[in-house]
Amino acid sequence: MAEFSTSTKDAGDINVIYLNGYLDAHTAPVLENTFSDLIDKRKYSIVVNFKNLAYISSAGLGVFMAFIEKIRENSGDIKLADMSDKVYNIFDLLGFPLLYEIFKSEEDAIKKFNEIK
Amino acid sequence: MLNLKSLKIYGLEIKTSVKFQSFMGLTIILFIFRLTVYLPGSVVLVSISELLVLLTFTSLYAYLLELVKAKHVNPLSFVMNVGILNAVIFFLLTFSDWILSSLMTKTEGMAINHGLIANLLSFIYSYIILSSLAIVFLAFRELYYYRQKKNVSTYFNTMIVFFGLTCVANLFNNVIEPNYIKETFLLISILLIVINSIKISWIAFIVKKEKIALLVLSIIISILFFTNFASASDNFHNQVVIQFSPMLNQFLKIIMIYGAIYFSILFFTTLFHIPTAEVYDRKAQEVSFLQYFSKLITESHDFSELAETVTEITTKVCNAEAAWIAWKDGDEFKSMANKNIGYYDSNNMTKFIFGSRLNRDFSRSFIVNLKKHKNLPQLSEGYFHFAAAPIRTHNEIKGFIIAAKKDDFMFDDEDRDAMNTFSDYASVAIENSRLLEELIEKERLEKELDVAREIQRRILPSKNPDFENLKISSVFIPAFEVGGDYYDFFEIDETKLGFIIADVSGKGISAAFIMAEVKGIFESLSKTIERPKDILIKANEILQRTLDRKNFVSAAYGLIDLKKETVSISRAGHCPILLVRNNIVENLRPNGIGLGLNFGSQFVDSLEEIELKLRGNDIIVLYTDGITEAKNKELEDFGSIQFEQILINNSNKNADEISNKVIREVTLFSQSKPQHDDITLVILKWKQKLKNDGDTEWQNSAPQLKTQVT
Repeated sequence: MAEFSTSTKDAGDINVIYLNGYLDAHTAPVLENTFSDLIDKRKYSIVVNFKNLAYISSAGLGVFMAFIEKIRENSGDIKLADMSDKVYNIFDLLGFPLLYEIFKSEEDAIKKFNEIK
Repeated sequence: MLNLKSLKIYGLEIKTSVKFQSFMGLTIILFIFRLTVYLPGSVVLVSISELLVLLTFTSLYAYLLELVKAKHVNPLSFVMNVGILNAVIFFLLTFSDWILSSLMTKTEGMAINHGLIANLLSFIYSYIILSSLAIVFLAFRELYYYRQKKNVSTYFNTMIVFFGLTCVANLFNNVIEPNYIKETFLLISILLIVINSIKISWIAFIVKKEKIALLVLSIIISILFFTNFASASDNFHNQVVIQFSPMLNQFLKIIMIYGAIYFSILFFTTLFHIPTAEVYDRKAQEVSFLQYFSKLITESHDFSELAETVTEITTKVCNAEAAWIAWKDGDEFKSMANKNIGYYDSNNMTKFIFGSRLNRDFSRSFIVNLKKHKNLPQLSEGYFHFAAAPIRTHNEIKGFIIAAKKDDFMFDDEDRDAMNTFSDYASVAIENSRLLEELIEKERLEKELDVAREIQRRILPSKNPDFENLKISSVFIPAFEVGGDYYDFFEIDETKLGFIIADVSGKGISAAFIMAEVKGIFESLSKTIERPKDILIKANEILQRTLDRKNFVSAAYGLIDLKKETVSISRAGHCPILLVRNNIVENLRPNGIGLGLNFGSQFVDSLEEIELKLRGNDIIVLYTDGITEAKNKELEDFGSIQFEQILINNSNKNADEISNKVIREVTLFSQSKPQHDDITLVILKWKQKLKNDGDTEWQNSAPQLKTQVT
């Protein structure tokens, strides 16, 4: 089975989640737990770095939808960064760019968070 | 229980027993003999009487033996019976003077009184003595043989022979000289009694509580026997019994001696067994627990039940106050099956014990005393002594059994060994139940997927609509785990055809249910709403009520107007719709967000609809990402470039041929990898009518092949 893992980085008020491997229906709970942990710690400014993500399925996309409402209610946001063209295309087809801010790099996403504050 | 009352009942019930019948017969003969022809002076008559008494005794003894053999009787109940009968004899001896003398004239002397009542009374009295002796002797015999591993009958039988010799010698007390013969026999008898009494092997097998009871009983019974022996001469009782049978009188004395000796020895033996009783009990308990455990392992596959049993038994065998299982859950430990300790406490304690502070080899069982440890976590109850044994499967430690004590008695090596044994058993049990659970889970999943595939099969159209100038081909190949692909056609009227392709997020049964819902929504909306954009907006609204936040549906809806020769398309997050025209593939990709991703104005505002005029040989291709994301063994995607190329290369073929070609290529590409998502492909080929002539090109083409796979 394809492997998937996440790691997080605390960049001040902003937390970065790094995705690694194949995100599908079987591995989606891993990312769900990562989000849950951050929300439990009341961390609502989250950047997701897609640099090492090889594949994302519809169930993987669903994870972002599951948490975005709660995060935005707490005046936070999920910003997506560093996607490969292939991954971006999947997001783009579904219309995610209308719902999420997607950045070329992690730094840009963090900068955007800091601008607002 | 063996006692007089139950024997009587058995006697009445088992009338058929030959032994009982002969006992009753002999009793009657003896009674008549005594009443009629018996004379105490005649040697012959006395000998006949003694022989009859001996036969009566033997038949009763044999009958009782038969009864006892039929049942498994606890030695302790024999002891109880001996005690009770001994007490009866004690009362008879004590009160014989008073009772018998009130009924018979003592001064006349029993020897000359031949009155019927006196005879009857002395007969009954002697019979009670005889019966009691038979039972007591039987009890001695059973106690002697109980739990004897070797053949030890020689000693016992020799003893019986000497009992007999002593009795006979006593009978001819006045005849045989010298006197020492009788005394020698008695002495040898006593010697044999002592030897036989030492062979008490059954004490070891009774539990401590019973041993203590036995200790008290044996001293009382032993004293009773001594008293009875001492008081069995020179009183009215003595006269009555001697007059009845001198041998019986002698036997009574021997049995009293036997009792006194046996129970004295029993008392001391029990006394010496008491200190080791606990250890013995514990070992016996361990063995029985292990037996119970092996049974449980083969019968029960419920892991939590097994865990409960493990901790329960651990507390009992190790005399621990608390026990729990620390189960490895990633890097941490999780407490389970707690006994007498809260989860908060046990979790803290586990963390402390297996934290880096104690430098120990955790791969083996160990005992630890934390009484003097400074950083001990604050528990609601002060446990200081701990013993732990690892539970492992395939050399991997899965967890630990931990036992805890409060008091100053530490765990010892015995406790640790016992826990080691339990943890071994637990390991086997855990492995068994885990394998079974996996199997059940796999079967459950397969059943569930069967249901999901069945739902999907019923939802998808069984046949494609067919029009004069529009030919449709569709292929659907489900993945093992149902992927949630859906396509459908709605014949709105003779000139209008609606079509949809959709992909529900997620897999399995939940995806299949959403699919069913989506079908219902589009089925009904297509009847009232015509424009693709309006249908998608409405569908999104309806889905808001039921769709889980993390689920969504990508969809594309189209409407072909056969009369106006147009196609209108709206897309909600789905893969682009392809238009193959003049050897060029055009990606029709009007804007739109997936259904269920946004329920506000963003969805409506972003949604576009495009309309195209259809031209001859136009091919409209609907597909799901199962095609473009099909993977080969290098994990490369089939990709849209390859897909489009195949479409161009085959664009002059009919709809069925094109779809067959695409599927063949995809299958070839990904043959070494299991299909991981549903594959759906719908080809619509437009044939423009010739203006003047009804005879069109396509009507001459090959008959339609059925290529739909379900």
